[in-house]
Amino acid sequence: MIKIRNLEKIYRTEEVETVALNKISIDVKEGEFVAIMGPSGCGKSTLLNILGLLDDPDNGSFLFNNIEVANFNERKRADLRKHNIGFVFQSFNLIDELTVFENVELPLIYTGVKSGDRKKRVEEVLDKMQIMHRRNHYPQQLSGGQQQRVAVARAVVNNPKLILADEPTGNLDSSNGNEVMTLLTDLNEQGTTIIMVTHSEHDARYSHRIIRMLDGQTVLENIMV
Amino acid sequence: MLKNYFKTAWRSIVRNKAFSLINIIGLSIGIAASLLLFIVVQYELSYDTFQPNYNRIYRVATQDKFDKDITYNSGIPVPALKALRAEFPQIQFGALQSAYGSQVTVPADKNETGNKFIEETGVFFIEPQLFDVFKYQWLTGSPASLKDPNNVVLDEKTATKYFGTWQQAIGKTVVLDNAITLKVNGILKNTPANSDLPLSVIISYVTLEKCGQSYNHFDTWNTTSSNFNIMALLPPAVKMDDVDRGLLQFSKNHYQPLQSNSIKTNFLQPLSTFHFDRRFASFGDHVTSKSTLLTLSLIGIFIILMACVNFINLATALSVNRSKEVGIRKVLGSNRSQLFGQIMSETAVIVGISILAALGITWAVLPYIKHIASIQEQLSLFTIQNLIMVVSIGIIVTLLAGLYPSLVLSKYNPITALKNKMVTAGVSGVSLRRGLVIMQFTISQVLIIATTVAISQMNFISKAELGFNKEGVLILNGKSDSISLSKQSAFKQQLLQIPGVQSVSFNNDPPSSDNLWSTNFAYNHQPDEKFQISLKFTDADYLKTFGLQLLTGRSPVESDTMREVMINETLVKKLGIKNPNEVIGKVIRIGRNQWYPVVGVVKDFKTSSLREDIKPTLITTRKTFYYCTGIKIRTQQLANTQLAIQKVWNQFYPEYAYSSQFFDENIERFYQQEEQLSLLYKIFAGLAIFISCLGLYGLVSFMAVQKTKEVGIRKVLGASIISLLQLFSKEFTILIIVSFFISVPVAWYMMHSWLNNFVYRIPLSSWFFITAIVSSIAIAWITVGYKAIKAAIANPVKALRSE
Ligand SMILES: Nc1ncnc2c1ncn2[C@@H]1O[C@H](COP(=O)(O)OP(=O)(O)OP(=O)(O)O)[C@@H](O)[C@H]1O
Ligand SMILES: [Mg+2]
Repeated sequence: MIKIRNLEKIYRTEEVETVALNKISIDVKEGEFVAIMGPSGCGKSTLLNILGLLDDPDNGSFLFNNIEVANFNERKRADLRKHNIGFVFQSFNLIDELTVFENVELPLIYTGVKSGDRKKRVEEVLDKMQIMHRRNHYPQQLSGGQQQRVAVARAVVNNPKLILADEPTGNLDSSNGNEVMTLLTDLNEQGTTIIMVTHSEHDARYSHRIIRMLDGQTVLENIMV
Repeated sequence: MLKNYFKTAWRSIVRNKAFSLINIIGLSIGIAASLLLFIVVQYELSYDTFQPNYNRIYRVATQDKFDKDITYNSGIPVPALKALRAEFPQIQFGALQSAYGSQVTVPADKNETGNKFIEETGVFFIEPQLFDVFKYQWLTGSPASLKDPNNVVLDEKTATKYFGTWQQAIGKTVVLDNAITLKVNGILKNTPANSDLPLSVIISYVTLEKCGQSYNHFDTWNTTSSNFNIMALLPPAVKMDDVDRGLLQFSKNHYQPLQSNSIKTNFLQPLSTFHFDRRFASFGDHVTSKSTLLTLSLIGIFIILMACVNFINLATALSVNRSKEVGIRKVLGSNRSQLFGQIMSETAVIVGISILAALGITWAVLPYIKHIASIQEQLSLFTIQNLIMVVSIGIIVTLLAGLYPSLVLSKYNPITALKNKMVTAGVSGVSLRRGLVIMQFTISQVLIIATTVAISQMNFISKAELGFNKEGVLILNGKSDSISLSKQSAFKQQLLQIPGVQSVSFNNDPPSSDNLWSTNFAYNHQPDEKFQISLKFTDADYLKTFGLQLLTGRSPVESDTMREVMINETLVKKLGIKNPNEVIGKVIRIGRNQWYPVVGVVKDFKTSSLREDIKPTLITTRKTFYYCTGIKIRTQQLANTQLAIQKVWNQFYPEYAYSSQFFDENIERFYQQEEQLSLLYKIFAGLAIFISCLGLYGLVSFMAVQKTKEVGIRKVLGASIISLLQLFSKEFTILIIVSFFISVPVAWYMMHSWLNNFVYRIPLSSWFFITAIVSSIAIAWITVGYKAIKAAIANPVKALRSE
């Protein structure tokens, strides 16, 4: 599903040039659950943003479902993204002004789903995430774990083929964290490909494979059994 | 404490540079604009107030009640003066007869015909008693200088103009209209510019005994001329209403025996209305209606309010960012009143800076004020009244702008404030902000509609079919004394020799003018009609020179006296006659004259400004009334032709000063006040839009910062740029549409009544309103667009990193 070769991303500020990704190559197959680990600043989030088509690489090749997307323009990327990829962030990134229901509904609006179908889909997902009873609450009225469940609901409401999660448990205590990990595992078992960045060895054990990074390169890949 | 307030205030202003700048620009422009308007209004209201007896001075004016309407006249029949003095002994009366447009000749050694000056204003025959009513300052001489005939008093500037210095003028002689020799025996200080009775050449009233005829000063109860006025000073205890009752009886006694077709009544017009009542002629430079002054004041207030609205909107919006600061201060022990004081002092500093800037702007703009107001005098900015006004504006604006934000901020609960979760606290602020934005756009749109309507009406006027040709006609003001008249035909022949001159007509009045010479009349041996007709005395070339068109019949034959008459279409219709040919050969009698045959009907032309209906008009010949010469000239070589005409004039009338105007310029002068108002609307609509857009820009910049994260998330979820732009513009668009529906009835009412000033007017079509909403939305989008696009195309990764 994902095949990147010699991917480079260099951040240039006035004084320094940071090589965030240094000729990195990775493959992810459909249905896999991959964890990415590595010390702070090694380029994990940068990699995830590129995989999620939020950012473009400076060099190298990126095949998404056998299509070269490395030099896609903003509009094409957005189009591909909204139909295929869901995101879960460490800081939840819910919109404060919208209710739980409205937050989850957003991706469906952007892909042009009709309002009747939207309601059904959102309720289904909220039900699955066990957050239905909070559908009319605002994000600030929820606990961290609940907020992250809403974020996951929002990530999967479009039935994406790929979910990218950047430290999804980073702001949660262990029991809330485990709940979110179980949700991700369930999704993966139903066929969704998941790539997750994490600092926790414990969370990484939920995955099939761990990619370890250092200074913008992969250094080791462990296959979990 | 106060010092600390201002120190922190200053820092906070510097920290929020962009917002402070928006506030200062908006406030200073708003304050400057209002200050200018208030100075104008105050100046207009100050007219004549320097008269020590301001509240006790009246004019004895006249009204004529006809079958359908009432006409007003500032004048009164001449014999009324004696009668009033006899019947109202407790009241002091003073009379004056104006002689505007007179020529004063100052004998000079080198120039054998003397130096000639045409005095358009300030020339009067005045009784010494008038100076008991109106007070003027005398440099030398006294009201007694006007007791004897052939004496003249000049004001300082006129004396200086004639003789170099006013001291040299004393005892010298001048000649009025080449007929009356006058001796200078008094000098007045210049009349203040804000006077409706400016005096410059004052001739003793008794001089009129010999020459009244030449100045339309007839000692008969039958004639009322606005040139003859009687002023009255009421004793302190006497009430205007009581005098008016007396005048009612007075009028019955004196006017009923005359058996005219109207009921004539005299009444008092207070001096305090001289400057504002457009029903009466004025001796001053202009009359301003109270409704115009009200419009000016309202615009001034609205502009300031709009600037305050910007301040309130930005301050409450920014308060979300400041909640953390407020929270910390509260935790550290600051109480509500201290916080309140701090935010008020921030407002005061911004308002203070804005006022300084506003004073600068006002100072720079004040010299141009004459374009929007009929004020010729250079007004000064630094007067006590203006100072008081500026200080009160400062206090009011500070309170208006600062009160609400200070209350909101100082009320914050420190815990929620620290958490920066202002969602609940912000809700009330949001609806207030919406309300204020609606108010701003309502004002802007009303002004846009007013502007477009005013411009279209003025365009309509300048393009209107007048029924005559106003271009390329030069009007010479002449005299109709017998010597000049005897030279008239030779003068005309000489003029026609000039290659650029097409035709020449002698007459008393061009087709369209402010002059009104009307009379009662009878048609076809019937009793007098119930309405009056206006008269024009012209030679046979009048139609040709002014491009008037004959409907049927012909012009009256050339004659020195009245022999035949021509009437206009409107008169035919008013007589109830369908076919104009019917009137040919019928007879008309004007006043108490004999019957004259009608020989022609002229197609309707606009007899006065388009504010008024076409008057039923009679055109006939009578040489002694031909004061005015109309010359139709070819537009090529205009300057040469004009020079040639002047040469011919000087050759024929060396003792008369040459004075000419183009007819179309005279007509433009009818609409001076409307042109000014239309310019005023243009300027202030522009300012209103600018100030509201400034506020909008501030709000959107703030929103862009606030929404960075939201925009980022939405982009990650697949939002298109268009849908993100909608996020920014949707709310404003709705607010503008709401304010449109408020502004429509207001603007409709306002402009409907303005257009009703004109008989010939454009319809108030829906296009004016559509233009307003479309342009407001377009302008708002452009304002919002830049910030919104910037926010929408930003990389979402960056937006989310800023968490
Ligand atoms: N917008 C940017 N401008 C400049 N440098 C950047 C930018 N974004 C990331 N970097 C740099 O690129 C490198 C990789 O950053 P990245 O966020 O991918 O690290 P990370 O592995 O996700 O770290 P963490 O575990 O702390 O989240 C870092 O050195 C970072 O400072
Ligand atoms: Mg990271």
